[in-house]
Amino acid sequence: MLDETLAALADPTRRALLAQLADGEARITDLARPHAISLNSVSKHIRVLERARLVRRRVSGREHFLSLDPTPLDAAAAWLQETRALWTWRLARLAEVLEDG
Amino acid sequence: MAEIIVQHRYAAPCERVFDAWLDPKLAAKFAFATPDGEMVTAEIDGRVGGRFRFVDRRPDVGDVAHVGAYEVIERPRRLVFTFAVPKYDPGYTRVTIELAPVGGGCELTLTHEGVAEPWLESTPKGWEMILAGLERAL
Repeated sequence: MLDETLAALADPTRRALLAQLADGEARITDLARPHAISLNSVSKHIRVLERARLVRRRVSGREHFLSLDPTPLDAAAAWLQETRALWTWRLARLAEVLEDG
Repeated sequence: MAEIIVQHRYAAPCERVFDAWLDPKLAAKFAFATPDGEMVTAEIDGRVGGRFRFVDRRPDVGDVAHVGAYEVIERPRRLVFTFAVPKYDPGYTRVTIELAPVGGGCELTLTHEGVAEPWLESTPKGWEMILAGLERAL
């Protein structure tokens, strides 16, 4: 899941789409409007975001509404923070080891 | 792919900082250690292509092996190794250690790239322990 989250975030168009959705639910056509790429390309980016479970889709009649699910973002941020904390601890331990020696 | 970068400055010269990573006795104390774990195995074949194996005995989850292989060994500037914790994830990540002399000491930059998810879900308790230990250590 973390790999998927980070891969999904590794694209400026997808990050922009998430930023748009941070304001609330939106239709695909409205999301695509500010982007200088085809609706088809935007749809592909949105599918990547859906697979990473960052975006949920609600269908009402012929309209597709999209919304942001920040849960994977929280998990990715927590992982990064924890791993950084562990390496920080290990590098501080190395300083102690060098002083002892 | 995510990348974690951590830096630390040492009073010791880069040669000593570098050598600590390839000395099993010293590396056991920090390289793959956790605050509450006890390193019960520390094996290093310190050649390019050589493998290492560290087993950390943790009070909550038992023995946790850390395995990998050295890709770049350029004393005292650069050390690159692959790294996996098979108990939680068979996937390998990569750690790059770069050393730069600063005054009489050494600045170390560690980059950990290619992270994998199951750590997150399998070891929340382990991470809590690590963070608690970190607070005590600082």
